[in-house]
Amino acid sequence: MIELITTAESVDQAKLLVSAGVDTLYIGEEQFGLRLPIAFSQDELQEITAFAHAHQKRVCVAVNALMHNDMIEKVVPYLAFLQTVGVDSITVGDPGVIHLMKKHDITIPYVYDAQTLVTSARQVNFWAKRGAVGAVLAREIPFEELKAIGSQVTVPVEVLVYGATCIHHSKRPLLENYFNFTKETVPSEDLYISEPKKPDTHYSIFEDSHGTHVFATNDLNLLPHLASLVEAGITQWKLDGIFTRGNNFVEIVRLFIEAKRALAGDGWTTALQESLNERVIALHPKERTLDTGFFLKDPNNVK
Amino acid sequence: MRKITQKPEVLAPAGTLEKLKTAIIYGADAVFIGGNQYGLRSRAGNFTYDEMREGVEFAKKYNAKVYVAANMVTHEGDTEGAGEFFQTLRDIGISAVIVSDPALIEICATEAPGLPIHLSTQASATNYETLNFWHTEGLERVVLAREVSMEEIKEIRQKTDVEIEAFIHGAMCISYSGRCTLSNHMADRDANRGGCSQSCRWKYGLFEMPFPDERNSVLGGDPEEDFSMSAVDMSMIRHIPDLVENGIDSLKIEGRMKSIHYVSTVSNVYRQAIDAYCNDPDNYEFKQEWEDELWKVAQRELSVGFYYGTPTEDEQLFGKRRKIPAYAFIGQVLAYDEETGIATIQQRNLFSIGDEIEFYGPGFTHLHQTVEALWDEDGNPIDRAPNAMMTVKMKVDAPVKPFDMMRKRK
Repeated sequence: MIELITTAESVDQAKLLVSAGVDTLYIGEEQFGLRLPIAFSQDELQEITAFAHAHQKRVCVAVNALMHNDMIEKVVPYLAFLQTVGVDSITVGDPGVIHLMKKHDITIPYVYDAQTLVTSARQVNFWAKRGAVGAVLAREIPFEELKAIGSQVTVPVEVLVYGATCIHHSKRPLLENYFNFTKETVPSEDLYISEPKKPDTHYSIFEDSHGTHVFATNDLNLLPHLASLVEAGITQWKLDGIFTRGNNFVEIVRLFIEAKRALAGDGWTTALQESLNERVIALHPKERTLDTGFFLKDPNNVK
Repeated sequence: MRKITQKPEVLAPAGTLEKLKTAIIYGADAVFIGGNQYGLRSRAGNFTYDEMREGVEFAKKYNAKVYVAANMVTHEGDTEGAGEFFQTLRDIGISAVIVSDPALIEICATEAPGLPIHLSTQASATNYETLNFWHTEGLERVVLAREVSMEEIKEIRQKTDVEIEAFIHGAMCISYSGRCTLSNHMADRDANRGGCSQSCRWKYGLFEMPFPDERNSVLGGDPEEDFSMSAVDMSMIRHIPDLVENGIDSLKIEGRMKSIHYVSTVSNVYRQAIDAYCNDPDNYEFKQEWEDELWKVAQRELSVGFYYGTPTEDEQLFGKRRKIPAYAFIGQVLAYDEETGIATIQQRNLFSIGDEIEFYGPGFTHLHQTVEALWDEDGNPIDRAPNAMMTVKMKVDAPVKPFDMMRKRK
């Protein structure tokens, strides 16, 4: 019942992840998917889907961009392509896409993913009534609320259990604008911003064709709290490798697969949880930090 | 002579009952207000049901509408009582609610049928199929995302039947509205539940490496300029013909937190400009005095947002701020005696004999004069009006009317 969903940064990594035991690959291309480790070509999407299906695994494709008129026209042939390829599901964040799928009789199951805007069971159920087979929850939801959501939703909901959290999406090229103002070129290195009163913070920031994206100062790691998620009935778990590259990401995914297997049987012990967690921390990129995000926050303290 | 009869609505913000009345008197066709719950301005003036009733009654006399913003993104427990809330609004005679959360939309549609729903800009509607989706859901109007361009609006108008509302003036989120939780993560205040700490406007460090001991600042400029994500404000006063010709149904002015000075001035200007265009579009001329008037209440520099292209560094608050001619709101006319030429004024800020002041009123009337004679309520001559809300009498050079406002340059 636990479903592990992971991003992939290459065809090879996608295959490694499938072989390792990931249930669903979450991939896509640049124009319609948001904040993916890599933009796959249509050929690659096809190859990965075929490989996953040959191993009885699933592929979910990101179609969760905010679409402007030009994109909403181009998305129809893309959806038709995805249907032909036979991907198992897509994420959608723009209701225009839902409207179009109905109009064009495109029947790919969709998971509603409007990022920060999905925060309650009743919202999820609204989209379920309009055909969504699931929803991706916002990252700003404390466990107390996750429990309430888990007990009321009519379709499964997904949460991030490992990886970076986007906390700001602007259509403006905020870095380019800044460096234009200072008359310097945008550095090619990874960039971080720090809060004025908290110089230790290090929010990742980058630009792409969708605009500018800012990520939380700490990446999320819920490994110590997986049993609570199972208890709350929230068992679709995403691991996002946008900032955790290469083999380290695959190894971290393997640790979560081990956790999943232990939780599914009766092998989940404190000792195992601690050992897996230590290894996640050890494999996590040295230049990044981890915490539990909003999971342990008191709902009354964030209003 | 060509004339435009389908005028777009001028929609003004109203944080209080007084601002509601002012906005309508100054030409707004509709105002949007907040209730005590479900809105995005937990720190703004919000209306009780009684105040809403009074506001609706007042608006009716002017054939104006009152909308209520209930555009919070709800968490578990937040929708409690929402059905009753919407029913009460409907029964009070509120013309529509502005909502972005699908849970609230569903509650409103099922529990308060007959109360029209407008999709808030928080939902970031950026294409015509999204508008069609919400139209199919029974929504009457969609407030477009601020990222939509004029060209896109033109196409959206051609491909949808739902009413379109667009922001034309005021402050802007630099993110897609709703798609920013900087405030949640940096200040434990939920941006989408009325707590936004405006973290985007902070000054940030910018580095190539994450940790202080090894990183290099890539802040640049001479002198060094902090990184920030702070948008200048919007004003579309120079583009009234485009707004009208592209079939936008409602032109929205931002600012429920703003002063009565702002609400009256901005409503007044857009009322003038839109009437001027619609009455004779072929001979319409933009008037510099409209823009000058808007500058009197501006807090930041002004731009046209995404209407004619992606905003550059010029549309962000970098570097030395341009000096904005700031005006103080000093009083409001309560009465005018034609025989004596004396106005009764409610003081809003200090003014004194000798001050160069300006009266302005609905219909874009202006009167410049020097304060020459002042009396207190009991008729005793005074040199200055020092107390907030005190009533003073003043000799004026030409007739003024109740609701005319008084300002002076700071």
